[in-house]
Amino acid sequence: MAQIDIKNVCKRYPNGFEALKGVSVEIAAGSFTVILGPSGAGKSTLLRTINGLETPTGGTIQISGQLVTQATLREVRSQVGMVFQHFNLVDRLSVMTNVLTGRLSHRSWLGSLLYLFRREDIDLAHDALIRVGLTDKAWNRADKLSGGQQQRVGIARALAQQPRVILADEPVASLDPVTSEEIMGLLREICTRDGITVVVNLHQVELAKRFADRVIGLNDGLVVYDGPASGLDRATLSKIYNRNGDQVDEQLETMLAYA
Amino acid sequence: MSEQIISRPPLPKKPFNPTPVWLSAWLALMWVIVFDLELSFETLLYGVQDIFEYLSRYSTPNFEDLSRYIELLAQTLATALWGSALAFVVAVVLAPFAARNLTPNPFAYRVARELLNFMRAMPDLLLALIFVAALGLGPLPGALALGVHTAGFLGKFFAESFERVDGGVYEALSATGASRMQVVMYAGWPSIQREALGYVLYIFDRNVRMASVLGLVGAGGIGLALHDTLRMFNYDQSAALIIVILVTILIIDYLSTWLRGKLN
Amino acid sequence: MSSSKLCWPTPNGLPALMPTVVLAVSILLLVMSASSVELNLVRLFNAIPRMFDFAGNLFVTPDWEYLPTLGTNMLQTMEMTFLATSIALVISLPLGVMAAKNASPHPAIFHATRNLLTMMRALPELVWALVFVSAVGLGPLPGIMALSFVTIGFMGKFFAESIEVVDSRQVEGVVAHGASWLQLRTFAHFPQAFPDFVGTVMYILDHNLRAAAILGLVGAGGIGFDLVMAMRMFDYGRLLPIAISIYVVVTLLDRASDKFRRRLI
Repeated sequence: MAQIDIKNVCKRYPNGFEALKGVSVEIAAGSFTVILGPSGAGKSTLLRTINGLETPTGGTIQISGQLVTQATLREVRSQVGMVFQHFNLVDRLSVMTNVLTGRLSHRSWLGSLLYLFRREDIDLAHDALIRVGLTDKAWNRADKLSGGQQQRVGIARALAQQPRVILADEPVASLDPVTSEEIMGLLREICTRDGITVVVNLHQVELAKRFADRVIGLNDGLVVYDGPASGLDRATLSKIYNRNGDQVDEQLETMLAYA
Repeated sequence: MSEQIISRPPLPKKPFNPTPVWLSAWLALMWVIVFDLELSFETLLYGVQDIFEYLSRYSTPNFEDLSRYIELLAQTLATALWGSALAFVVAVVLAPFAARNLTPNPFAYRVARELLNFMRAMPDLLLALIFVAALGLGPLPGALALGVHTAGFLGKFFAESFERVDGGVYEALSATGASRMQVVMYAGWPSIQREALGYVLYIFDRNVRMASVLGLVGAGGIGLALHDTLRMFNYDQSAALIIVILVTILIIDYLSTWLRGKLN
Repeated sequence: MSSSKLCWPTPNGLPALMPTVVLAVSILLLVMSASSVELNLVRLFNAIPRMFDFAGNLFVTPDWEYLPTLGTNMLQTMEMTFLATSIALVISLPLGVMAAKNASPHPAIFHATRNLLTMMRALPELVWALVFVSAVGLGPLPGIMALSFVTIGFMGKFFAESIEVVDSRQVEGVVAHGASWLQLRTFAHFPQAFPDFVGTVMYILDHNLRAAAILGLVGAGGIGFDLVMAMRMFDYGRLLPIAISIYVVVTLLDRASDKFRRRLI
């Protein structure tokens, strides 16, 4: 359980592009938050500042009171699991070894060099595989699995860390609608049962409505909506997804399709 | 019959084709070189005539000393093996630093890259000469020379393979809190293992060829024997030696191609 | 209740088979050959101060008078490389076609050419240089002959392999329009294999420059002779300039071919 404090975070790239223009959000421990927004709104950037994959050019991030800095990166990251759109598994390694890489921050230098793991680590990985329902594939090569299965391995890897937070960057963007439901359901269940704080980037509004407690709408680097999923009416959606002040009422459905 | 001038819309202007220019420049350059090096077609022609006569001197190979040759051959192979092993160890250490997406900082990257370039640029024969001066004659300086020189190649090959791996995989592992070494061990090496093995076999193959000539500078092996027999115009024994070298290289070549085929 | 038992991430906890076998075989081979290579740690340690001495001696005043000769010989090395590679290129194109399974005129020719190319690249350039020096005398000519000879072996093989991975559908397209044997190879095979050809030539050029720098050892032209002489006579005033010029030229070619390759891709 961890509370995430994002205070006035700005991100400006060397070429001048401002991805985040001052975002302040407090994410409660054990909550399920979805970040919505059009492409280029800064969703990914925001998520990645939380575990330090992007360094903000202004503002601070704190997780349970601990400041995210260059010095504290590894410590923070061992407590924060991440799930990626393209799964990012090591193709040639087995499913089990992939999940075990979640334990690497707790392994000794020499042990990890020799690919040695403790019994407890293997048990934790095993438990994670049970949670995501992939025990029968434990010794298969990761790239021999379907997309949905690979994403579940990604989630198992995050679970193996015994994290306080799980971040998911467009976890279902590469999956079909049925599998997307399953994955979102899995993430929701993990949040509810284990009390892990979950923050998900999505562009499917329907999924956000179905699974989120709280939705943060991001547009052009700023928060334009912060409230319950029930508050996602036409007006709010057009505020989140409008570009350059276009009038979008009639074309809202099309806009959403391309968002 | 009315005269109709059929007018076509004009084609766009044909883009300038530099090929004839390059081709002429190339031929001109070759001509200049032949002139500068004072290469004479006559010498070549006479030489070619002579060559047939000359090559006939090798037609009766003398295998009397075969057991000694085999021993020297074993030495040559040992040199190649140890040289390749040394190259492997050095390359494994340096390659992660020479890969843009795995290196800890730009300075380490530059240093590692330059070091590998330097090792590659120095001809192995020069290195062999230096090591012979320091260690004395024998196969050991040869192995060292091969090791240092091919470490440069192997390191560059490994680093380039690392750079071709999808950065997201490295990122995912860092995101779990893994250290740089762990990222290299769990996302780097497994991802390139097949290519890496192919490179190692290629370098070993190459080292066997080089090891057989390093003997010319006293770095042991069969090259030394060949040098001696040729110097004494002992064509029969030279022929035998050349055949031994040839057969060995062919066998190693065949084996390594077979192994690399199995990897794919 | 936790056990600190360590194990590998495999079903039975033992390390995976392939890596273990490879490692074991490698170590076995190394141990068996250690005596053949006269591995001697004492000897190695004793050599270290001598290496430092050598490194120290390198940094003396360069032999200024020698520099023009150095320039000439380095130029000769580069010229040898270029000429030999060009000659090999011209000969390797038809040979490469004959050695490619999908472009060869006849299976017998295919096998014969393949074997010929294998033979040609089997021996290192230096061995051929030795032979050719005995035949035509000293100078760059035997060096160029040796380089060309071995290069044809490699280039022919690489060209043949590039031709073999050509898209057969594109070839079919040209065949369907009634192309002759030669036209087919020129317009269907060659354009597809061309990028690979360029890459091969660049790589071989790079390799040949290093090879050419050595051939002088046996009197076959280039900077190799100067290098060996300087080493044998401990002429440090020449050694460093020679080493530096080799390093510079090789590196320049390396960078140039990288840039060239990037331009084409």
